[in-house]
Amino acid sequence: MAASSVSVALEGISHRFGERSVFADISLTVCAGQVGIVVGANGSGKSTLLKIVAGLLRPESGKVAFTLEAKPVAPIMRRRSIGYVSPDLRLYHELTGVENLEFFGQLRGLHLSHDGLRDTLDKVGLLGRGRELVGNYSSGMRQRLKYAYALLGSPPILLLDEPTANLDTEGVVMVERVIAEQRMRTGGGLAIIATNEPREEAWGDMAVRLNGSK
Amino acid sequence: MSRTGTGYEPASARLPDWISEASALLAKDIRAELRTKTAVSAVGVFSFASLLLVALATEALKEVQTVSILRLPDTVTLTALEAQLRPAWDSPSKMGLLWVLLCFAAFAGLSHSFVHEEETGTVTALRLSMSAGAVYAGKLVFNLIVTLAVAIAVTPVYMLITGMRLGSPFVFISVMFSGCLGLAGTATIVAALAAKARGTGALFGAIGLPLLVVFLILLINAANALYTVDAPLLRLTKDVGGLLSFGVLIIALSALTFPFVWEE
Repeated sequence: MAASSVSVALEGISHRFGERSVFADISLTVCAGQVGIVVGANGSGKSTLLKIVAGLLRPESGKVAFTLEAKPVAPIMRRRSIGYVSPDLRLYHELTGVENLEFFGQLRGLHLSHDGLRDTLDKVGLLGRGRELVGNYSSGMRQRLKYAYALLGSPPILLLDEPTANLDTEGVVMVERVIAEQRMRTGGGLAIIATNEPREEAWGDMAVRLNGSK
Repeated sequence: MSRTGTGYEPASARLPDWISEASALLAKDIRAELRTKTAVSAVGVFSFASLLLVALATEALKEVQTVSILRLPDTVTLTALEAQLRPAWDSPSKMGLLWVLLCFAAFAGLSHSFVHEEETGTVTALRLSMSAGAVYAGKLVFNLIVTLAVAIAVTPVYMLITGMRLGSPFVFISVMFSGCLGLAGTATIVAALAAKARGTGALFGAIGLPLLVVFLILLINAANALYTVDAPLLRLTKDVGGLLSFGVLIIALSALTFPFVWEE
């Protein structure tokens, strides 16, 4: 399979909340093996832009084009091509970590074996804690579980909003490893990261800066 | 073909159909409900309080009638006396009150289905993982199960307290099932609207009121048909069928409009 089999292109994206324009005419193309960075001050619209890419929000104008194996991706397939980590994302506190992964795995059409779940939890540093209720997790553990959720099915596109929020040093290393593996993903993988951290900006191959339009 | 482990096969993998997605959501909701008992406790407290109120009110009515019967001449038969001890209101009225009770009990619990997802922020993960149709189907079936469970638990006790007649068992079951279907259908779409508006229980009730008025009118018509002696088949079909049609119609309209409610 060609390494350039996946790409995301943002073409002239603009968005506003009521009278306030958040950003205007944003364009960015990220191809397989690449990491795109979205930077900007608080309230500049980084999270909003990622939500638009994820299909959670419709842009005021412009479009997001997904290409997989040189073909445009239909909306129904699009959501299964995306792994999303964000402060806005919450998993079910009344379920255990494993139950959350099994549930979202089912929704993605995955049959997660015991070994598969074990590997996923091990990858994010939650091995041995999967049977605990998420409500009893620390904020860092919840962030790690979000990565386990995002990586279900090894999606070709990772969208990471504040990727190291609440994580300790080991957690940051885990995120670096996830991003490195995403670049090398079989069949092509890419990531788009929204951040204000200089260290995380350095992970990218290209960046778009949001200035917070009026 | 299903994907296993972390292998990803976007081109050849068959998409899971909406039924399996809806089933997964239903199983998740039941598991979470059994663990937290959020809806059950809300519905249970309301049902218990309502039944207690009906029991006390009915007892008071019996006592008032007992005094007046004691002043009757000796020619009154035992059967007539027992009949007099029943509350003065008739079975269709009792059925109406039962459904008012069921409506409020169900609405007290069913709003959690969407409002809880929105309030806790889990709606984002659902939106990323499921089609709108599957979400609606999963939530509708969960609400229907809760409504049926409430009806099965409350109705026999209510009948015992008030002396509400059964009538024709087949027609009675048809009325109860059609009512539960209409109530679950109404509550599901209203809960989705209220959740989208970042609403509270109060908003849930306000949005649901116009639909509930129509629902209760159809229900009283069906109850009148149920308790009419030798009611013609045409009337039974029209009135009970009307109630069933309301449920089917509200579900069909909700299924069509839900994607617009679900999408941001």
